[in-house]
Amino acid sequence: MNELTQIILKSIALFFLVWAAVRLMGKRNMSQINPFSFISYIVIAIVATLMSINLINLATGFITLIVWAAFPIALDYLSIKSRLMHQLINGKEAVLIKHGKIMEENLMRVRMTGEDLLAQLRSKNAFNMADVEFAVMETNGTINPYFKSDKKPVTMHDLEKMSAPQAEPQTVVLDGNMLEEPLASLGLNPQWLSTELDKMGVSLENVFLGQVDSSGDLYVDFFDDAVELPQPKVKEMLYATFEKAQADLLTFNLQTEDEKAKEMYSKNYQSLEDLLNKLRPYLLH
Amino acid sequence: MTVASQVKQTLASLKGARGTLRVYSTQTREEEARSMYTDAIVVTSSIIADLENRLQTLEFEEPQYKGN
Repeated sequence: MNELTQIILKSIALFFLVWAAVRLMGKRNMSQINPFSFISYIVIAIVATLMSINLINLATGFITLIVWAAFPIALDYLSIKSRLMHQLINGKEAVLIKHGKIMEENLMRVRMTGEDLLAQLRSKNAFNMADVEFAVMETNGTINPYFKSDKKPVTMHDLEKMSAPQAEPQTVVLDGNMLEEPLASLGLNPQWLSTELDKMGVSLENVFLGQVDSSGDLYVDFFDDAVELPQPKVKEMLYATFEKAQADLLTFNLQTEDEKAKEMYSKNYQSLEDLLNKLRPYLLH
Repeated sequence: MTVASQVKQTLASLKGARGTLRVYSTQTREEEARSMYTDAIVVTSSIIADLENRLQTLEFEEPQYKGN
């Protein structure tokens, strides 16, 4: 019984110790660590296990733990400070495809077969070797391809279209509860939210999720999916209003016989045209 | 519908649009978008002013329809 309590106490203490050590060693994703820190983690885990089941005594265990936790931290620090150390510790990235050609020697050096390379490329959506201009294996083993310019996903820039800059949306309602902090960070208050919800004719309790987008419009999702409520279409309406006004100006221009008025109408028709072109990326998505 | 009342209608919808623009110009978080909306308010306002002038002339020319 005494031994059991000892094991329990030790395990609990070691649990927190190992937790603290792992936290200190960094915040990287497990799948992204390099082989060396992987080994450190395993050693720490094994030593902690052996200690908690009394296979090795506490002093030996602690020393081992401290060394295996401190060294990775020290090496990480060194690799941040010096580029040379970084290369020594983490290795160097290997170029596997250059100018669309596979570098067989480099493939050999990282011990990969052609099939491994193809499988990795496929996981990055590069099914066709001919589409890949360049590929590099990072120090953590992932392979990142760079596509040939005609095979790259198209962007707004490629289409020569303007796109409105957008800030990230903020979630202001979750599970029927108002989230004060994001609201405040938008410079809005709870009254604003209740006004917006009133406008839609819903109460806060029925809202599962509410998000405010970059332009300050509120999008809501309800608990009851049978409820269909119009989502904000204010911008589309605004655009339509301007288009209608522009058409009206053209009509007036044709109807009037007054030269000065004709000129005024056509001038404003043109300035609305310019305005619509400028507003299009902002109002229509 | 007379020309004056048609102009009045357009004027009203433009004023509504200007109001919406004003709301967006205050609640949008992106600086660039905000200045875009502010510019749009200026353009809209000048069109509104022109139409108001024209409306005065029209009402002077056809006083019998004034107020419609």
